[in-house]
Amino acid sequence: MFALLLANGVNSAALLLLTALGLVIIMGHMKVVNLAHGELIMVGAYAAYYISTVLKLPYVFSIIGAFLITGLLGAAVERLVIRRLYGKTGETLLATYALSLVIQQTVRFISGPELKYVNIPLDGTLELGGVPVPYYNLVILLVAALALLATWLLIHKTTLGKQIRAITENRSMTGCLGINTQRIDTITFTYGTALAGLAGAMLAPIRTVSPFMGVQYLTDAFLNVVIGGVDSLFGTAFSAALIGESVTVLGGFWNDVGAKILIFVIIIILIRFKPEGMFSKEKR
Amino acid sequence: MLRQKLKNMPVNRYIDMGAFLFLAVFPLLFTPFRTELMAKVLVYIIFAISLDLLWGYTGLMSMGHAVLFGSGGYIIALSYTFLKGVPWYMQQAGVEKIPALFSPLLNPAAAFLLALLIPGLIAAFLGTFIFSSRISGVFFSLITLALAQIFELFVTNQHEYTNGSNGLGGLERSLLGSGPLSLNALYYILFAVVLLVYFFCIWLTNTRFGTVLQAIRENEARLTFLGYKPNRFKIAVYVVSGVLAGLAGVLYIPTNGFISPTEVGLTLSTLLLVWVAIGGRGNLTGAIVGTILINWAQTLLSEQISDYWMLIMGIVVLAFVFFLPAGLIGKLISSQYARASARRRNAELEQKEAC
Repeated sequence: MFALLLANGVNSAALLLLTALGLVIIMGHMKVVNLAHGELIMVGAYAAYYISTVLKLPYVFSIIGAFLITGLLGAAVERLVIRRLYGKTGETLLATYALSLVIQQTVRFISGPELKYVNIPLDGTLELGGVPVPYYNLVILLVAALALLATWLLIHKTTLGKQIRAITENRSMTGCLGINTQRIDTITFTYGTALAGLAGAMLAPIRTVSPFMGVQYLTDAFLNVVIGGVDSLFGTAFSAALIGESVTVLGGFWNDVGAKILIFVIIIILIRFKPEGMFSKEKR
Repeated sequence: MLRQKLKNMPVNRYIDMGAFLFLAVFPLLFTPFRTELMAKVLVYIIFAISLDLLWGYTGLMSMGHAVLFGSGGYIIALSYTFLKGVPWYMQQAGVEKIPALFSPLLNPAAAFLLALLIPGLIAAFLGTFIFSSRISGVFFSLITLALAQIFELFVTNQHEYTNGSNGLGGLERSLLGSGPLSLNALYYILFAVVLLVYFFCIWLTNTRFGTVLQAIRENEARLTFLGYKPNRFKIAVYVVSGVLAGLAGVLYIPTNGFISPTEVGLTLSTLLLVWVAIGGRGNLTGAIVGTILINWAQTLLSEQISDYWMLIMGIVVLAFVFFLPAGLIGKLISSQYARASARRRNAELEQKEAC
């Protein structure tokens, strides 16, 4: 029983990491709080639905398609909305909230409010030490690990990543050095939202797809990023593992909702003592 | 003295007076159906004023204010339900009699006090943890957002006591054990409470406390340099705002007759933000005007475009963030100042030319 919970916990952790990865990029490196993140995940899920169920293409295309389509939407959002609100956190919160409403309702109109279902691309389970692990869970874990690795490589090993980190540290100085900060901003935001789309594509087969599915992932992802340290990839991964496992294991032994509430209270207390998160590089 | 004060009043106070006049005669001019709706709007006005204190004056954007509203509401709703005996949904869950924990709820006065106390305590608890460290305002918003979701989950989950997502209905239109009230009686009681809350907030925001709150919103660091401790003020205003929100929740029960977790979770919290954002923050008038306007627009327009309502609201809020960030009343006030300073400048210029 405990082993099963642990295995499921790994799955929850991987999903949490996927949803939070895009947020770490946007919130950590761009200092933008995007309340529409949940809706972007939802758009990714819908893109995956259309590509796999309506166009009947293999799921790999759904994943890539969701990544690209959501990224495109993110680019549009950045240029039209986010760009004008840099530095104004209050307005950004309100604007991205309004945006989340607009995206939600638009999807509802295009696609209808009824729930959509996506078939699991890889059926069947594997026996690992007596615990049944669905193949798809392994795929999720793989994708999450790859996304984490790819993001880390992008940020720390490429020139673009260096530019992104420079902008995070001192935007105006970086601009003075001749780097096109606006273009980098758009690229960064696009990458973050594309990651959200990827998360949505991975979530679609195992959750019901509806226009309102995004909101719950929003708060979970934010709490994850806040605890791990807003600018630390490793922190986000670590706290994803921690939170994912805790909620699943506690939920199994006690009660789903009780587990969530307890974790929430613990998070609040943790924030009190370590407001910058566990692994933040910022020293306050 | 009074004459001088009246002359120096910002233009939005005239709007307040106009609004209150309109609200006072509303039941005499409109059908009971509309009066019932306006009664609910009165409750929402108290709720919006409580958020304006927190967000408009102090700059703390709570995205879960409905939790405080809903706590007060649910306590009173449970009290009314228990007064009629053990509810059938509890009997279904195997609970034979009212648990000892809820016995104070059988006393209307005690229930009323609890319904104001519990939201205040929740606010105090949250405030102590969130404001006592160097957490920026954004985190406060995110935590309250998570709180709203968790609260909805919690209330739905405790369905042996709260009837879960079915909500509590058939709640009678009475206050503090008064027995059933007529619609007009309830309306004017609500109106009186709105006036009380309004004048209380006017007084509060004009004290030094109120000035400090606005200083927190404008430049917290400078305030700290001057020797104040902003965290204490933040906790204090959060508690006051929480108690007022709880009061609104209490009044919601006899007005609406029904309460459910979805009504007091994330949706209402974010809707509240829209009312205050569109109306204007930091002047109390915006909260009143925004609430009345949007609620009536929703009712009057929903016959034609109910499907598109949320989409339209999203677009309108976006437009307001870009073009009218101070809201309707905020824009009004700033244009009044612009005109007044332009007048002053012209007068100075004329004086100089005359010399």
